[in-house]
Amino acid sequence: MNGVHDMGGMHGMGPIVTEKNEPVFHHEWERRAFAMAVATGFLGKWNIDMSRYAREQMPPAEYLATSYYEHWLWGLEKLLEDTGLLTRAEIDARLRGADRPAGAAPGARPIPQEVRMLKAPDVERVLRSRRTARVDADVAPRFKVGEAVVTRTINPTGHTRLPRYARGKRGVIAEDHGVWVFPDTHAAEQDPKPQHCYSVRFTARELWGAQGGPDDQIYIDLFDDYLDPA
Amino acid sequence: VENTPKVHNMVVCTLCSCYPWAVLGLPPVWYKSAPYRSRAVIDPRGVLKEFGVTLPEDLEIRIWDSTSEVRYMVLPERPPGTEGMSEAELAGLVTRDAMIGTDLVKPPAAETRR
Repeated sequence: MNGVHDMGGMHGMGPIVTEKNEPVFHHEWERRAFAMAVATGFLGKWNIDMSRYAREQMPPAEYLATSYYEHWLWGLEKLLEDTGLLTRAEIDARLRGADRPAGAAPGARPIPQEVRMLKAPDVERVLRSRRTARVDADVAPRFKVGEAVVTRTINPTGHTRLPRYARGKRGVIAEDHGVWVFPDTHAAEQDPKPQHCYSVRFTARELWGAQGGPDDQIYIDLFDDYLDPA
Repeated sequence: VENTPKVHNMVVCTLCSCYPWAVLGLPPVWYKSAPYRSRAVIDPRGVLKEFGVTLPEDLEIRIWDSTSEVRYMVLPERPPGTEGMSEAELAGLVTRDAMIGTDLVKPPAAETRR
């Protein structure tokens, strides 16, 4: 979707603010929100592309006015609601009791038996194990390294990983990353359409005109379905 | 992605916050923020200047936009005056930002002055 999350090339966002000796989390709620987002991912009710798409649907003014973990929490609440794991009323009731010690909230529904859960003793082992969107499928690549390509001009209202600043642009295949699930359909719970993903090289001049550095290059990871022969 | 005397690499995720968690930990706030995500691809030299890094005009900058599940990390250039240093000593010179590409690894003398 042409959302405000697709920020490449936008102006006016202000200076980059860095922090010396930055803590991993700035507030305790951020730690909890992060843990909940990671843990609920293991319920098996949604995939990573659905999580990203959920966060992208935060209203743009709100997205720009809130912090990173607020985006995560907003997306998580949307997914919990969309999948029927919690109702809005239940989420609000739990938020009101958020200062209670951890544990089941009063009136909580039992967790359905079919729901897969990540239990505390398994967290470290599971997080350290390799999970990947790479697919072991024998799918032929549409392009070869060194081939000239042009990106498609598409404006899907769903999830896509083809940024706006790189649509309708000419580039060159720099590397073939192999076969991966296709985020656009995976986010919509449709056929994951395993296909090749490439690192595609664009000159800064192609993307930005005279404002681009004469020798600078931008490499973007793009899928077969985003590309046509140039 | 390797820095050389002719090429400087810098990593960004313009669409969200993709970052090599497993190697570098969770990203700093600035990496996930609108100013960095919007400008890294269109004005890398301006961004680097804000990090105190000025590169020669003829150096090629390569920006890596992490739009897939592939993660990128910059292999910084070995600074002069580090011949004979052990792996552990060299590791001590490398900063997180140098592995994102918004910092250069400084020679040991500069490091002790800080």
